[in-house]
Amino acid sequence: MKTLILKELRENVKLALLGFGILTLMLALNAHSYSTDLKNLGAISDSQQEYLQKYLPWQPLVSSGFLTLTGFFCAIFGAVLGWFQIHNDRHRDLWAFLIHRPITRTGIFLGKTIAGLMLYVLATGLPLAGFVTWVLVPGHVAAPFEWAMLWPLAMLFLSGTLYYFAGMLTGLRQARWYASRALGLGVALFVSLTFKSEPHLWQALIFILIGGFILATAVWGGFHSHGFYRGQPAAGKPALTGALMPGCGLVLALATILLVESLLRNSDSYRWSDYQMTKDGIIYKVTHGTGDQSDIVDLAGQPLIDAKTGRMMGTADFNRRLCTRVQINPDFGDRAPRGRWFDRDCYRFTFWRATPDTLWYYWGRYGRLVAYDIGTRRFIGSLGPDGFAQNVSGDGNRFGDGRNNYAVASRRIINTTQAVYELDPDHHTVKSIFTITNAPNETIGGIGEVSLNGYDWDYTIVVTRDYIRLLTPDGNVVWRFAYKPNHPDYGQISVAFLDSRNQFALWLTPSGHTQEKTGWKLPMQVTWLDREQGVLRSTDLPVLSRNRREFGREQKLMSLSISPALMVMLPWFNAETRLKDIPWVLVRYSLAAALVCLPVGWWLGRRYHFTVGAQMGWTAFHLAFGIPGLLTFLSVQEWPARESCPNCKKLRVVDRELCEHCGAGFAPPEKTGIEIFAPLNVTDART
Amino acid sequence: MNEQAVIRTRGLTRYFGAKPAVYDLNLEMPRGCVFAFLGRNGSGKTTTIRMLLGLLEPTRGEGTILGHDIRSLPPEIRARIGYLTEEHQLYGWMNVKECGEFQSQFYPRWNEKIFRGVIGHFGLKPAARVKDLSRGERAGLCLGLTLAPEPELLVLDDPAMGLDPVAHRSLIESMIYLTRRSDRTIFFSSHQLADVERVADYIAILDRSVLRVCCSLEMFRNSVQQVRLRFPGAPPPVPKIPGLLQAFRAEGELRLTCVQFGGATEQALRALAPTQMEMVPISLEDAFISYLGERGEKSFILSETEAQP
Repeated sequence: MKTLILKELRENVKLALLGFGILTLMLALNAHSYSTDLKNLGAISDSQQEYLQKYLPWQPLVSSGFLTLTGFFCAIFGAVLGWFQIHNDRHRDLWAFLIHRPITRTGIFLGKTIAGLMLYVLATGLPLAGFVTWVLVPGHVAAPFEWAMLWPLAMLFLSGTLYYFAGMLTGLRQARWYASRALGLGVALFVSLTFKSEPHLWQALIFILIGGFILATAVWGGFHSHGFYRGQPAAGKPALTGALMPGCGLVLALATILLVESLLRNSDSYRWSDYQMTKDGIIYKVTHGTGDQSDIVDLAGQPLIDAKTGRMMGTADFNRRLCTRVQINPDFGDRAPRGRWFDRDCYRFTFWRATPDTLWYYWGRYGRLVAYDIGTRRFIGSLGPDGFAQNVSGDGNRFGDGRNNYAVASRRIINTTQAVYELDPDHHTVKSIFTITNAPNETIGGIGEVSLNGYDWDYTIVVTRDYIRLLTPDGNVVWRFAYKPNHPDYGQISVAFLDSRNQFALWLTPSGHTQEKTGWKLPMQVTWLDREQGVLRSTDLPVLSRNRREFGREQKLMSLSISPALMVMLPWFNAETRLKDIPWVLVRYSLAAALVCLPVGWWLGRRYHFTVGAQMGWTAFHLAFGIPGLLTFLSVQEWPARESCPNCKKLRVVDRELCEHCGAGFAPPEKTGIEIFAPLNVTDART
Repeated sequence: MNEQAVIRTRGLTRYFGAKPAVYDLNLEMPRGCVFAFLGRNGSGKTTTIRMLLGLLEPTRGEGTILGHDIRSLPPEIRARIGYLTEEHQLYGWMNVKECGEFQSQFYPRWNEKIFRGVIGHFGLKPAARVKDLSRGERAGLCLGLTLAPEPELLVLDDPAMGLDPVAHRSLIESMIYLTRRSDRTIFFSSHQLADVERVADYIAILDRSVLRVCCSLEMFRNSVQQVRLRFPGAPPPVPKIPGLLQAFRAEGELRLTCVQFGGATEQALRALAPTQMEMVPISLEDAFISYLGERGEKSFILSETEAQP
C-alpha cells in the first residue's frame, strides 16, 4: 500500500501545491486586508461604530468572510482532489492496470484515500495552520482569542473531507453527468447546511462523521464494483443509496421550491400582518404582500386615508409617520441557552466600541470589556464594575454572568444583575447609574439604550422581573410599570416614543413558546403612559401571527417532496426536542406521497424480479423516504434490459439465469452450421 | 470436464443496454497452451477478457480462472495472472525505471532480469518518461511489466495493436521466447493472423458476440475448405448449403467457402450441375477472413459499363 500511497502523492502533488498556493495567497490577502483596515481606522465617529461592529473582521479567525472563504475553498478543493484522484486512473486500461494487481480493493481504496487526505491536509491544513499561528502571535491581531474560536474553522476543514469523498464517488459512479453522477455531493451539501445550525458542537461533529462514513463506504464499495451498484459488497449498497439520497432530496426540494414559487407566488400565504404605531400613538394593522404597497387599516378596519390626496396612504408616507420603538427580550437566566454552536464559538466576544487609539470588546468569558491598542495591536487592560484593571479578569468582577456573550446592550451602558453602569472608555472609568435597592431577589434581565435621533442618549430602559423602568441618562425614573404578572409569558417588551416628549406606549408581546403552550390565544398588550399622569389607557390586540402549527398550501406542497423520515427527524436536530414539535400534518402529506411511491417501487421490483428480501427492504425504504427515496431507487439501480422469453413469450430480465415467468433458461445461440467445436487437450495440441 | 482448465466459463453473457456484447460463452482452456481469441472489432473479445479478470461484472453466467470465481478474484490469484491491456496505458509521468519499481513492489515473484531483458529488447532507456514513448515502446514496457512477475497465466488483449512491423516482431519474439514453457498458459486476442498461425495451439472465434469456433488450429485449418464450380454460362443461384461461409460469383465460376465440407454439401452442389467441381487449397488467413468476414454471396461479374477500361 505504501507504493500506492507514494504513487498517489506523486501524481496529485501538483494539484495540492496549486491549492496550497491559492489558499495561502487568499489568506495572505485576508491578513493584509485586516492590517489595512486597522491602519485606516483613524478617528471614528459614533455613527460609524455600528457599521464597524457589523462589518469589520475584528478577529479574522471567526470573521464571516474568512470562514466563508475557508468553507468554500475546503469544499471545492476537496471535491476536485477526490475527483481527480479517480479521474487519473479512470481510463479503461489504466483502471485495469491499477485494479489488476495482487492487492485487495480495500487496499487500493485505503492507499488512495490516505494519500488524498494527506494532500488535502497539505493544501488546506498547512495554510490554515499558518494563518492561525499568525493570529496567535501577539501584535498581529488586536482582538481576544480563545481556543474554542477554532472550532468553526476546524469543522469547516473537516467538512471538506466529505466533499473529497463525494468527489471520488462522482469520479467512480457509472452514471450520466446530467443524471445521478454527481448526486453524492448532496450528502456533503446537506451536512454543510445543517452542521452549523446544530445547538451543540458534538452534534455537528456526529453529522460530519456520519456523512463521512456514508460517503467513504460508498466509495469503498465503488472500488469493488468499478462504480456500479451491482457487484457492491453488502455494506456498499446501503451506503451508496444513502450517499445519493440527500442529493435526490435537494434536487427535488429545489424543483418543488421553483414550482411553488411560480404557482403560489401571489397566494394569501405570502401575506402577513403586524401592528404599527404612529407618532401620535394610533395603532394600525399593516398587511404586507409581495408588492411594495401594504394594506393599512386602523383597528376598526377602516383604511388609512391621506388627508392631502384623499386616497389610501402609501407605505412610504406611512413609514415616515411611525414612532421609534425599542425592543428588549429580557433574559433572567432561567432560559436554556439557545442558538447555534457555530455562532456561540464565533461570537465569544463582541466588538463594543472604538476610540481613536483603542478597540474595546465585551469578552463573555470574563464578563468584562477588554481594550486593545490599535497601534501595537496588543492587550491594554480590562474594564469591569470595579473599574479598570491591567489584566483581563480584574479581580473576578464581571458584568455578565458568562452565559452569553451579548451582554453589551448599547454603546454607553452595560449591566450586572443588580446595577446599570455608564461606561467612559476615554477615561477607562465606569459609573453606576441605577442600582436595585430593597429587593435582593430582583435581578435585571435586560437593558436598552434609547437614542431618538440616532446619536444622543435620551433614555435607558431597564427590565427586572417586577418592573419595567424608563430612566433618564442620569438614572432618574421617568416611569415604572409592573411587569410581574406578565413575566415570563410576555417575553418581548418594546417601548414606543410618541410625538409628545412625555408620552410613551409600552408593548408587551407573548413569546412564541408561550403562545404554543396556550394555543395562540394570548393577546398583545399595549399601554399608553404619561410621565406625569402614569397609565393613560391600555388595550389588548388580537393575535396576528400565524399559529406555527397551521400550514399553508405551499408548505403542504413542499412536504410532498420531503422524506417522512426526515420530517420526523428534523425537530430532533434541535436542543429541546419534543414529540409535539414534529409537524404531524406535514408528515401526513409526506406519508401520502410515500404511499403513492410504494406501488411504483413494488411494481418495478416485480418487473425486474427482485428477491423477496430486496422487495421488502425497498418497500420499507420507499415508505420512510417517499419521493426522494423513489428517485434514489431509480438512480442507484442499474436496470437490466428485458427481452422476450422464447418459451412463454413474456418479457424477462436478462440478468437472471432462468425466466422469472416460466422458469425456462435462455436459448443457446442459434446454430448456423459454421460452428467448429472440439474438446481441447493441451497434450493433443502440443503433439 | 477438463480438471486442468485454466479458464472455464458457462453461459457467460454481458449486455450493454439491450445489446449483448458476449452471449452465452462456454469455454474451457487447458493449462499450458497458447490460446488465440479471435473476432472482428466489437465482437466481444475485450469484454470477455475484462469479465474473466473481474474487471467487468457479467450480466449472467459464471466463470472461473485458475480455479477461482471471476467475480471475486483474490489478490493471490491476480498475482498469478499477467494482463496486458490493448492500449498499453501507463502513468505518463513515470519513467521506465519507476514503472518497474512501482510494479515490482506488488509482486513477490518479480524478476528484474526479465524486466530488464524485455525493455532492453525494445531499446528502452530507464530514464525515458512514459508519456514520451512511442506506442511500440509503450507496448514493450507493458510487456515487461506483465512478464516480470512470472505469471502462470498471461492474458494479452491484442498485444500487437497499432505497432509497426519492427515493434510487432519484437513483441512476438519476446512473447515466444519468454512464455514457451510447459507450465505457462497464454490467452491472447489478436487480429494478426500470422501471429496466431505462428504461436497458437487453439483458437476461439467470436462472431457477433457468439462463440462459433473453439478447437485446435489444425482442426480449424482442416474444417474450412473452398470449392470451385465451373459453369458454361452464368452460375445459377446458390442454394441453401449447410456450413456455407462465403460464395464468390465470377463469369462462369462459383467459388464457395464452407465449413465441414461433406456429403450433404457435395450433394447439394452437384445438383447445380457444374461442368467441373474441384477443391481449392485455402490459406489459414483466407479461412479466417472468410470466417470473420461478411457472410453471403459476392459477385465479381462486372456490368458492361464497369468493364470498359
